[in-house]
This record gives sequence, structure tokens and C-alpha cells, in this order.
Amino acid sequence: MVIFLRSGGKLRDKLKPDVDEYTKRVEVEGDKSLREILGEVGVPDSLVAFAFANGKLERLDYRPSDGDVITLQPPVSGG
Amino acid sequence: MEGFGGTTLRIDLATGNIRKVATDPDLARNWLGARGWVSKILYEEVPRDADPLGPDNRFVVATGVLTGSFCPVGSKVGFGCISPATNGHADSSMGGHFGPELKYAGYDLIVFEGIAPEPSYLYIDDDTVELRPAGDYWGMGSLDLEKRMKDDLGEDFQIATIGPAGENGIVFSCITHDFGRQAGRCGVGAVMGSKKLKAIAVRGTKGLKCHDVKALGNFTYDIIQRTKTHPNMAPWQKYGTAFFVGWSNERGCFPTRNFQQTYFEDWKGIDGESLVEDCLVSDKACFGCWINCGKYAKAKVPGKPEKYVEGPEYETIALVGGSCAFKDINEVAYANHILDNLGMDTMSGGSTVAFAMECYQRGIITKDDLEGHSLEWGNIDDFEHVVDMIVYRRGIGDALAHGTKGAAERIGQDTIHFASQAKGMEFSGYDTRWYPAQLLSYCTCDIGAHHSKSWAITADIELGRDTVEGKAPVVIYLQHLRPLFDTWSCCRLFWGEIDVTPEEHVDAINMLTGWDLTLEECFKISERIWNQNRCHYIERNGGPGRKFDIAPGRHLHEPIPDGPAAGKIVGPENFEKMLDDYYYNRGWDSEGNPTREILEELGIPHAADNLKKVGFLGKPIDGGIPKVRGQKLKPKAM
Repeated sequence: MVIFLRSGGKLRDKLKPDVDEYTKRVEVEGDKSLREILGEVGVPDSLVAFAFANGKLERLDYRPSDGDVITLQPPVSGG
Repeated sequence: MEGFGGTTLRIDLATGNIRKVATDPDLARNWLGARGWVSKILYEEVPRDADPLGPDNRFVVATGVLTGSFCPVGSKVGFGCISPATNGHADSSMGGHFGPELKYAGYDLIVFEGIAPEPSYLYIDDDTVELRPAGDYWGMGSLDLEKRMKDDLGEDFQIATIGPAGENGIVFSCITHDFGRQAGRCGVGAVMGSKKLKAIAVRGTKGLKCHDVKALGNFTYDIIQRTKTHPNMAPWQKYGTAFFVGWSNERGCFPTRNFQQTYFEDWKGIDGESLVEDCLVSDKACFGCWINCGKYAKAKVPGKPEKYVEGPEYETIALVGGSCAFKDINEVAYANHILDNLGMDTMSGGSTVAFAMECYQRGIITKDDLEGHSLEWGNIDDFEHVVDMIVYRRGIGDALAHGTKGAAERIGQDTIHFASQAKGMEFSGYDTRWYPAQLLSYCTCDIGAHHSKSWAITADIELGRDTVEGKAPVVIYLQHLRPLFDTWSCCRLFWGEIDVTPEEHVDAINMLTGWDLTLEECFKISERIWNQNRCHYIERNGGPGRKFDIAPGRHLHEPIPDGPAAGKIVGPENFEKMLDDYYYNRGWDSEGNPTREILEELGIPHAADNLKKVGFLGKPIDGGIPKVRGQKLKPKAM
């Protein structure tokens, strides 16, 4: 399946977007958690505050579906 | 001056004298506004032995250079004074619409001195500036009063108020505006109350002169277009700061039961999802903002009246929710409303109640101290009752009115061990036992423990949470960068969350004012402010400076008992090592006293003379001070 990961800030440097300035296309083999997928693409999960998928907060144990567009939110400023 | 209102108000509350003077262009250019102006005015005008709640303290209302500008959202205004909590420099930044309205009325700065003979409020309607009686308003809650004053004066007035907490000198009283925006920290509300000043109402219709409005307009438009599609916009717009709750728990830094633990087993009941699903009424935004991180909520607690509140924000969820062990977001929102209306900072207020809850848990205070009430974790009735005791200073409430440090000093029995504060101001909503850079940030912060001046949690994660190596220079860098937003007086979320760079902020300032300001110059001004505040603190409190940069007992000696960070603690040896590194990198001596060399380089040699007079000028450093103080984070992985 194919999913799309989006992020700004420092995480964007790790993500290496290839669709637009924020978005990376990722082909996923098998049924994997977001945490596993992040490991494969080289994004440190410790720096991901949460994922925002389909308009909803998700934790890193979320298992994406084909076509998901997932925002990776890093905590940068502490609120 | 382009970009400024042009007028400073000097108000002697004792005599009622109001003077209008031209805003000093040197002050504007060399100190930039808000936090910078507060620092300079307090340092030059407040006697070193002045009682923070006495007539000689100054109460400063200061816009910043970006206040009133749409780019990148100059929504803020700063309030400043000598803090009754820390006895040092205090500056607290407030969003909403008040700052822009003040500048549009033509005023950049208001400096109050003295104490009014009767409760008063300041009325500003463009050129009309009057002190008016506030006897009918005295005793009212902040939120109730704002509604009343808008009915009395007009909906187009922007109003800032204090509640009964500020009237009664509670050291963590706040100033409230727009039904839920606060200047929350440092007890600025108590100083406003000590001057018998209940509110400030302002209407401004003059607008703002801009050096190059076309350039600034295009610049702003481009930034809006770029950031509208930023990945972080959607989650921020949906949840505001409440989304941090889950992450903070999973990282083992969420305050739980007065920082006894760092993982709250019921966090899902008080996180962003719960807020959106159970409480949310609408989004809410400050002046000019297109993020709309504010959340307006309705609290529905069985047996209690429904209450509307802006929030709860992460900090309130952490320090009222987790720290007092509330499991339901509605209870947190209800407690938020109570504190907002009474005019109490939810952060220090929540922490002070949590401290009292732990005292009750340990049998140090009992029902006899609480007018027959209990003070159980997560009990909203108990919370509400003890808050009432604090605000009206009944019994043990009078001790608690001094904050956790002041309460611990009065209660004794080694309760200081679990008063989570630095220099008398309570920690923000992050436990630091596995976050050494954040511990250093809290304990060296010039206003007491507050993350706004340095939030180093991700620096700890990126550099390693089990080490103190390399942390001090990063903290110093953050302590220069982050307060710039409190000096420019704009929201830092545009930088922090959607990648509007500090350089772009400086470009906007230059388009607004016609200056040729550089970011490097801004960093130097920020460092100057930091060092001046340090000198001021030592001059007021004695020294050496190191004496005051201490970590509370729990955070230094008590390992986290359970959860994702079980067993973690920074420890005293590591903390002292970080302090040594911090002082060297600041150009201070090993006792934490600024040296003449650093103060002269920063253009405040008189501060060195003053430190020498009190016997705490820093000893010269062998080899001289570092040429560069502070270092931007260079994570190992990147």
C-alpha cells in the first residue's frame, strides 16, 4: 500500500519530502504500525508528539490504511 | 516613530497625576519593547528594597515593536513588575486584542507608580485618559467584570482585569482579558491589585503608521499562503495545545499528583481528543491570528453549574488535571473557569492546590485545617473549597496564598522538598527528572521556573536524556531566542510550530519601522536583558547568584517511582556540573555572578558598578569570557 507522511520543522529534514515541500510518499509492505514505518524511513519516533490521520489524533501504534495522509507533529515550542 | 503609538503614559496612582510623554526612540530601538522595556524601567526606577506590593514598585504595561502588526501576529502585550513570588524582575505576556488596541489608541507604554486612594480603573479612549472609580467593581470576578464593563462602556473596548485573587495579594494572581487570555505568571495580578487598580479599559481608533505598508502587506500575504498548508496547521487548529498531553505522558514528564509521578493513568480522559469530543464549543483566536489555537469549551460537571471557559490549555491540563489527578476534562475545564474568574494563574494555582493535596495525603494538614473539608486527589468539591480559602486567605489558605515555596516555609515539616518551584515560582507542566536541560532551564530562569523562556524538552531527547553534556549552551541559546518573542511582543507559535523564521520576524519589524535591525542585534539585546535581570535579582536578594539557582528536593533527589521514566533522576552532582557549564558559557563566574567583561560587552557597565557595590561582581574569568554565548542545538542524529 502507499501512504503519505507530512511534517514541517526539523522532522521534515529527516523525512526528505518528495511529493511537495512537506510530503513524502511511502510504499509499505505488509501490515505495519506507524512506529515501524517511521523506523524504516529514518524518522526518530521519540520526536513525534503524535500523528494526525484522517482528521484524528493517533498514537504511533496506529496501523495505516492505503492512501492515508498522516501528519507527523513534533513538539517544538512547548505551547 | 513608525510602528509605534508614539506616547508613553506615566501615572502616579497616589496623586492621580497622568503625564503623556513621547515614547523614547532610544528605548524603542535598543530595548525593542515589552520584556525589554520592563527590564530597563524596573532596573532604573525601583528601589532595591521596595516591597513588591508596596507603592514604590512599578506596574508596567508594555507593548512591543510588533504589537498591532499582522505579521507575524503582534497580538501580545507585556505586563511587568517586581514579582511578589520571586522578588525579582517579572514579565508576563498576554495575547488577545488588548495590546494592539492600546497601540492603536496611540500608547506604547504605561508606567504606574504609587497606590490609588480608592479602587480605580484606567479608562483610555484614544486621547482621553482618565482614572475612574472602581468601587462598584471591586470584589467582582475577572470574567464577570469584563462582561459588566463591556456593557457599561461598549463592546468595542478591550478590557484587562484582576479578580479577587489580585485584590487580596495572592502571589500567583493573574491579569485576564478577552474572557480567557491571561498574563498568568509571576503574580502580576497581585501587583496590579496592590495599587488598587482593578482594570484597564481601552479603545483605540487611530491605527498604526507603517514604514512600508505595501511590502509588509505582501510579505504577510505570502507567509499566510505558505503556512496555510503547513502540516501542523490542522492539528493545532483542531486541538490547540491540548494535544501534548499524550506525548508528555508517554515521555514520562507529565506532572501527576504534585509531581509524585510522571505518568497519569487516566490521561486519556483529559487529553485533546477528550476536549474536542466532550467540551468544545468553538475555536478562538487572538488579534490577527490564522492558527486559531484557542479553544472555547463548556464544562459540564454533575452537581455544578455549566461554565464556559477558554481552554483548558496543556499547562492547565497538566498542573490542574494531572497534578491534582482529575480524570475528566470537564472537571479540568470547570476548575479552569473557577481560577480564571478568581484571577488566579492556573499553573501556579493548580500546583499550589496539588501541593496542599499532598500535604493532606501525608497528614501534614487535616480537615481541621480545611474548615472540616477533605482535600482528596481528583475531588472537584475539595479543589473548589481550598481555592476559596486561598483567595480569601482563610486559615491555611493564607499560607497557600504565598505559593508553594511560601506555604512550605510556613507549614514546615520538610514540605519544601515537594514544592516544585524555582525562586518561588512553580514549575511549568513538565517534570524534569529525566530532562536535565529543562531542569537547568527552570532553575536558571530569570522570572522563576517557566518554560516560556526556555523549553528544552526536545533538546534533551535529541542530545540524550541520560546525559548533561552539551546541555548548558543549548539552554542559553533558547534563553536568548525565546524571550525575543516576549520582547517583540508577538506569538511565538508562528516560529515554533509553522516555521516562520526569526529572520522573517526581523524583516517584518524593519518593514514596519524603517529600521535596519538584524537578528544578531536582537540576540544581543536579549542577552543584555537577561544579564540585567540577573544583576537586578542579585542586587535585590543578595548573592552569590548560585545561591538561588537551586533545584527543588524532589526533582533532584527523588527518582521517578514508576511509568515510562521509572528510576530516572538528574541528581545533585549532574546538576552542579550543568550549572558550572552554564555559568562559564554565560560569562559569569563560578558563583553565578555576572562579570564586568560580559556586562561591558553588552553595553550595561553601570550594572557591573552596581554589583560591585553590593559585593557580588563576578570574578574575572581566566582566558576571558566565551566569544559566543549559547549554541543552537546540533543534534547527534542530524
